[in-house]
Amino acid sequence: MKKFEILFFGKLKETWNTNKLVIESNCTDIESLYEELLTQVTDIPHKESIKVAINDEFVEWNSVISDQDTIAFLPPASGG
Amino acid sequence: MFRLSETTIDDSDLKTQTLNPSSGGFVCFEGWVRNNNQGKDVQKLAYEAYPKLAIKEGNKIIAEALEKFDIKKALCTHRVGLLTIGDMAVWVGVSAAHRDAAFKACRYILDEVKSRVPIWKNESWSDGESGWVEQEEDKN
Repeated sequence: MKKFEILFFGKLKETWNTNKLVIESNCTDIESLYEELLTQVTDIPHKESIKVAINDEFVEWNSVISDQDTIAFLPPASGG
Repeated sequence: MFRLSETTIDDSDLKTQTLNPSSGGFVCFEGWVRNNNQGKDVQKLAYEAYPKLAIKEGNKIIAEALEKFDIKKALCTHRVGLLTIGDMAVWVGVSAAHRDAAFKACRYILDEVKSRVPIWKNESWSDGESGWVEQEEDKN
């Protein structure tokens, strides 16, 4: 099992009721990890609007994840 | 350079940093917290950021502007934390030899920061409720 730190921002913090999770998983990419995380919530966010990052870099949904990675799920920006 | 600020934005200091002897033009945009949004009375708001990624993406946008437009210098600072009505939320300043590039670059930086930099707005309304603000339609 690999260990991941998961970060949620904005309204996604309310969806998962936390801003940070540490989980163990066998998932190998962000997409499958996200599907696994969805089993914890009832209010399913629109995946199309979410951006993802690994270790403080924007990446694609099919990006490979490694043990100890920090993975962030970001709703659409609303700054300015 | 792109910065996040947890305290009041010092616009005069930012202007001083942006001006330079080779530029004949300076264009600035200041975004202020207003008391209404999407039909609701806004009391205050909080900006949350993903700081490391926000600074990286913000600096990438500044670098793009320097590449795309004939400008000399560009700076942008965005507030994070609690803000009240009338507080400055974002400052963008551009210096250039001539006005056209300065106007265009300032607009480019602001538009890209709003859509790409991971910052989120949580508003508190007069009815006692609060909530995360969705990305607004382009109000130009």
